[in-house]
Amino acid sequence: MRLTASLLIALLALVVIGPAAAQQGVSDAEIVVGCSNSFSGPLAYTGEQATRYGVDLYFKVVNDTGGINGRKVRTVYYDDGYKPQEAVANTRKLVEQDKVFAVIAPQGTAPVAATLEYLEENKVPLLFPFQGSPITRGKKYVFSGMTLYDRQSKMMIDYLVGERKLKTFGVLYQDDDYGKAFLTAYEKDLARHNLKIASAEPVKRGVTDVSAQIAKLRAASPQVTFLVLTPGPGAQALKERQKIGWTDTVMVSSGPLTDEKYLGLAGDAAEGVEGLSLWPDPLTSDLPGVKAYRAAMQKYFDKNEPNRYSLSGYFAAMLFAEGAKRAGRTLTRETLIGALENVRGFDSGILPPLTIGPDHETQKQGFWVRVEKGRFKALTDWLKSD
Amino acid sequence: MSAATIIHVVVSGLATGAIYALMALSLVIIYNATRTLNFAQGEMLMMSTFVAWAAQRALGLPLAFTLVVAVFAGGVIAWVVERAIIRRAIAGTHWDVLIITVGLSLILRAIAGLVWTHDEFPFPSFFPSAPIIFGPVRVAPVSLGILGGSLALMMALWALFRFTRLGRAMRAVAQNQRAARLMGISVERVYSTSWVLAGVVGAVAGVLVAPVVFLSSKMGLIVINGFTAAVIGGFGSMPGAVIGGMFLGVLENLAPLYLPSGIRYSVPFVVLVAVLVVRPAGLVGRVEQRKM
Amino acid sequence: MITRRVWPALALAVLAAWPWVAPRYFVFLASLVLVNVVVAIGLNLLSGYTNQLSFGHAGFLAIGAYVAALITIHAPAVPVIVTLLLAGAFTAAVGLAFGVPCLRLGGLYLSMATLAFGFVITEAILNLDMLTKGADGLRVPVARLGAWPLATDTARYYLTAVVAVLMVAAAVNLVRARPGRAFLALRESEIAAQASGVPVAAYKTAAFGLSAFYTGVAGGLFAFVVGFLSPDAFDVFLSVDFVVMIIVGGLGSVPGSIIGAAVVTVLYDWLAAFQNYRPLIFGAILIACMLFMPGGIVRALAPSARR
Repeated sequence: MRLTASLLIALLALVVIGPAAAQQGVSDAEIVVGCSNSFSGPLAYTGEQATRYGVDLYFKVVNDTGGINGRKVRTVYYDDGYKPQEAVANTRKLVEQDKVFAVIAPQGTAPVAATLEYLEENKVPLLFPFQGSPITRGKKYVFSGMTLYDRQSKMMIDYLVGERKLKTFGVLYQDDDYGKAFLTAYEKDLARHNLKIASAEPVKRGVTDVSAQIAKLRAASPQVTFLVLTPGPGAQALKERQKIGWTDTVMVSSGPLTDEKYLGLAGDAAEGVEGLSLWPDPLTSDLPGVKAYRAAMQKYFDKNEPNRYSLSGYFAAMLFAEGAKRAGRTLTRETLIGALENVRGFDSGILPPLTIGPDHETQKQGFWVRVEKGRFKALTDWLKSD
Repeated sequence: MSAATIIHVVVSGLATGAIYALMALSLVIIYNATRTLNFAQGEMLMMSTFVAWAAQRALGLPLAFTLVVAVFAGGVIAWVVERAIIRRAIAGTHWDVLIITVGLSLILRAIAGLVWTHDEFPFPSFFPSAPIIFGPVRVAPVSLGILGGSLALMMALWALFRFTRLGRAMRAVAQNQRAARLMGISVERVYSTSWVLAGVVGAVAGVLVAPVVFLSSKMGLIVINGFTAAVIGGFGSMPGAVIGGMFLGVLENLAPLYLPSGIRYSVPFVVLVAVLVVRPAGLVGRVEQRKM
Repeated sequence: MITRRVWPALALAVLAAWPWVAPRYFVFLASLVLVNVVVAIGLNLLSGYTNQLSFGHAGFLAIGAYVAALITIHAPAVPVIVTLLLAGAFTAAVGLAFGVPCLRLGGLYLSMATLAFGFVITEAILNLDMLTKGADGLRVPVARLGAWPLATDTARYYLTAVVAVLMVAAAVNLVRARPGRAFLALRESEIAAQASGVPVAAYKTAAFGLSAFYTGVAGGLFAFVVGFLSPDAFDVFLSVDFVVMIIVGGLGSVPGSIIGAAVVTVLYDWLAAFQNYRPLIFGAILIACMLFMPGGIVRALAPSARR
């Protein structure tokens, strides 16, 4: 009986809410941010890299040099395994229990879409989600991360049709929100040039055998074949193309696919392949910001190889820090949003000078690359997407 | 669709089918001896492939050794699992063991993620990537290699079951456990052996298929195709597992050429349900008399 | 000495008072627990009582969830209780359509068929994207109880709690009455049950349909509580989670279903920060349960108690 009573009291104590901070997630000494992300399931690797080796990497650097206006940053992450209901539960936990100041760098269209309404209703900033579907547009508290897919499509089509004068297109796309969003965007952008997609084949997420789809695409003889996939199936598509000797098409990878992992898995089948690159080469670029990123990775996580996922997380944290710094010592969600909206020509040393406007889009860039000797070589400067 | 394309797709499908067949065989071997389904077969395969990969990278061994290490690792993992965990549930129903293997699959996948992360890794292939050209037809060496390797293993298994004492003991236990025990066959020994054998077959399948699907902690999910193949062929029948696997592989590859793309991924499961409903014995299998 | 009468009364009191004492997140979590309780009971009716283990119940959950969401979107005038009933009924119909031909299969084959079923349902949701919005995901509008929109966690919690309590009560009554005894007989030995006059096929079919109904209703509740649906949510791992719940709680036991669902849901939530270890821990729990606690928590706590 006594045990029950004390347990009940302990439970009640746990349940009583702690002293409310002036602004949730911001105290005298620290700022708390976090997200629900994939640490298991299909996108576990990207999730872990973007958060623990990306966002956290930058915050380590910041904290070691005194923090942001005297406050250190602490992060909290929960695993949703790419399941939207888990993302909802985790995000609510972050906001209601961990009392985060903002949600930063969650991943995936479905998990992010599931939490959008809740975050807007509760006025919690959703910063730089690692996804490119346009669902985040037009929300007051949301700032997009990755260059949105419709912008990517516009850059790709305008370049290929406008500059390279190519006319027939095929698409090999992942059968989910990512792939379908690109497919819709390609259709729209081609229509602007009075063109149509010659052939579009879906690939189920996780499946690597694409021989049938490649065969069907080849039958349509497109000059360009878009690959809107993840690295595994993307690499397989390249290998399959090599196997059947289909040389008279240009394989073009979408922004998220254009990365070193995809190259590594494809091996020599990637030679000559092109794509839209969203980031400078994390391993070889000598832009000052990228070099700083590599130095930090070497210092704190020397066994982890630099890659685009962690680079995007690092950048997200950098942008947050910039906004928070400008908001000053009186850091509230409103002042942060105001500060971010007023970012003009911010030079990260990684991406072109960044100006964020009322559209809350933080990345609008991309440039064309071709694979030569196993690495991406830039063919153009940063393309326009406006 | 030109004939050359169809041939290429069919050969590719046969190669995939051969892997499904190996997976199905390992499931059937365990099932026949112990009447239980090993839900963790795919994860065991994945672990042995990872171990072989790690060893090859750490020790700088020539490529052929990865197969040896994988087979060894596959056998050891299977043996340890059987002795340490499965054997304890020997008194339980087959549901108990099935559930234990479900738990095991979760554990193995988590361990792989902890040790090697959930990243995907290229796995070195024994076969060159340049296609072999027969006139207008191009065939990938990797497909032929998988087919050849799998067939060789299947032949070896057939010989084992047909000509060796161990094989006969396993067949006896599969037919009637009590009678086998009365004849002096150690049923426990057969249990261990069947697990080890399944582990070895899985390890070979893993090394053959890893260059194609890439090495990752989720590689084990292939086993679901193995189930499907085994049922289609006739669960419990080894020739059935092979036929079911080949059939499934070719079907999966041919269907998208002719069917609307969206429906295609349901094909294996629709076929599975159709087989279960229309002819549960499968293409080749014998109708099970006993209740399960 | 707390008698058996007091437990349900105490539980009801805690349930009713919960939103007033617990922080908001725990009200949400409690709703999830209750949804899982209903699923666990549904699964147990099939697997615990009639020995047909299902690895496809996420499929039933999905059907119920999407049906409830679509009704609310396209026919918002329908009262929420009716929506839930329709979700359950439709799911039961699909369950029967699938189950009837498969029921004559043995246990193992049926399990494999349910596994396949789960995949087919997810693919169907993806392909019917005109209706379900496929991979983009479907936002579930707020449910309405008469004129009152269930727009807060507390409101949704009470809806879930009331429905869950009713379904638990129905299950308990079922189990105590003749159908329950027939189910148990089926589980011990189909042949013996048939010999004592139990129409085996009819009861197996009924168990399947009932199980699907329960899970379908739970699916509707799930849709309202979570607010967003996508095919990613209903994969084979979710089906395995449900199996874990009834194993841990206790097969063939209504209190076991409740305990199992509560333990697994809360533990899952609690471990959200230990991402790499969570599947490891769940797998270990599952194995430990089978080896050392085969009747689940219920049997361990009250070995001789009648279920």
